[in-house]
Amino acid sequence: MSAQTRNGVVIDDTFAEAFGMSALGLVITADTLKWANICATVMTGFGTSVIGAGAECGIDRELSPDETPDGRPGVRVLMFGFSPDALVPQLRNRVGQCVLTSPGSACYNGLNSPTTMGLAAGPRFFGDGWQTAKKLGNRRFWRVPVMDGEFVIEDVCGVTTDAVGGGNLLMLGRDRAGLLEAAEAAVAAIAKVDDVITPFPGGIVRSGSKVGSKYKGAVASTNDAFCPTLKGAVKTECSPDTISVLEIVIDGLTSKAVAESMRVGLKTLIEVGPSKGLTRVSAGNYGGKLGQHHYHLKDLLP
Amino acid sequence: MSTLSFTLRQAPTQALDLSALIPSRLAGLSTSDIENLTLGDDPHMPRVGDIFAVSGSLTDAVAISGNSSFLDYVGAGLDGGSITVEGRVGNYAGRGIKSGKLTVSGDAGAFLASGAKGGLIHVKGSAGDFLGGARPGDKFGMLGGTVLVDGSVGERAGERMRRGVVVAKGKFGAAAGSRMVGGTLWTEAGFGAHPGPLLRRGTLIGPSVEVLLPTFADCGHIDPVILRILSRYIADTLGPLAPKPLPAQVRKLAGDRATIGKGEILLTA
Repeated sequence: MSAQTRNGVVIDDTFAEAFGMSALGLVITADTLKWANICATVMTGFGTSVIGAGAECGIDRELSPDETPDGRPGVRVLMFGFSPDALVPQLRNRVGQCVLTSPGSACYNGLNSPTTMGLAAGPRFFGDGWQTAKKLGNRRFWRVPVMDGEFVIEDVCGVTTDAVGGGNLLMLGRDRAGLLEAAEAAVAAIAKVDDVITPFPGGIVRSGSKVGSKYKGAVASTNDAFCPTLKGAVKTECSPDTISVLEIVIDGLTSKAVAESMRVGLKTLIEVGPSKGLTRVSAGNYGGKLGQHHYHLKDLLP
Repeated sequence: MSTLSFTLRQAPTQALDLSALIPSRLAGLSTSDIENLTLGDDPHMPRVGDIFAVSGSLTDAVAISGNSSFLDYVGAGLDGGSITVEGRVGNYAGRGIKSGKLTVSGDAGAFLASGAKGGLIHVKGSAGDFLGGARPGDKFGMLGGTVLVDGSVGERAGERMRRGVVVAKGKFGAAAGSRMVGGTLWTEAGFGAHPGPLLRRGTLIGPSVEVLLPTFADCGHIDPVILRILSRYIADTLGPLAPKPLPAQVRKLAGDRATIGKGEILLTA
């Protein structure tokens, strides 16, 4: 491998390996942006990895009143899953438990796609027969009586099977606290890219995994090659001065959006990283045989 | 964009069916073909050339200079493009319209937009009875689309209407929304007597009701989000012609409780 160096940061000659996924988008509005954010944050909670959480969820961006169907502030959330079928129970439970229940909320389709799935299919029956629908143009809105008025939820939402999950950047540093700050800056830059989410806590994951385990029943286990505390004991990927490794995982509605996110993330890391103890940037892959999408770091360099 | 124009030679003396004069049915026809079309199902009916002087060429716009209440079915079945009528039209204008825009500068007769599925109808005068209503034999009245009436509307507007939005700057006559199963009637001036007889579902919006049926239940003031969606939808659909956005709060009258009663009259004043 012939690594390159930018601003003192070593960029490994490797690639992120990502997978085709299905995804849907929702627009959640409320009386204030604060309550739209509360609703969206709870609704996308515990949505880190399809393996254990069922779906990978996050907030794409905040929406001004001009951008929402009801002229109130809102938030666009994205949900990623293995397939549209796998998203059905996730959507029903998350909307039913977290959006329906949130004061003043309304829930609309947030992804234009020729393929749709039922959004109000479960939640509208909360109305116990008092629910009514209003079709305006080609959009049908259900109105469910609730204690603070009406919960409005659109009948269907768009779903795409062209989404990409698992774009990633691995950051290696010699200062754990500093590296986290550099990763936060990269996440903030990626948040400005439309159509992507970073589903892990604060957009950052510290427990990168490898496929398989010595224990039966565990499908994944710690990525020992990137564990600094094991660097003398295993075939390590860490540098001799590595104290901490963090990863940003990116899911996007399109491959282009994932590539763009990795590009801006990499740029930010190169700019702010050196002062925070960042020494190297790498990416996670499985040898290139499992995922359809490969993002080579050398192609994304500024 | 070039327009195909039909100018009335003299006032007709019998009801004429103008449903042939929509862009999709005129496309590809020569002027003589068009002049040879009969204005009705009966082959003995007058032909276009007997009644109208035809001029211009067609892209997707038709203009009719008429002003006669004998001109029925104007824009019926319109499925794209536009029809502009100078003057008044007869009954069944815009019946079964799917898309496109029909503009009438004068009044419209009965059954305007009956069976409409989409599109936009703008009547700058007033509209007759059974606007968006079901004709005998129809299961439902209006099924979609948007109608804007600058003037007032006759009786029984929205009879068995299922979907779509009718906006009137003037008043609706008696029994608006009768037997309605869905959709929206919205007036800036108010409803006549007894709106919503046997209203199943659907929404009637206006500042006042002349006489309320006893089978409507007062639910007091509410501030549902759907009002904002409706205001925004109409603003997007009608642009500068749109009525003022609805107020945040309205008073809801639920009914008609002589039937399933899931409809509503929303009082804006």
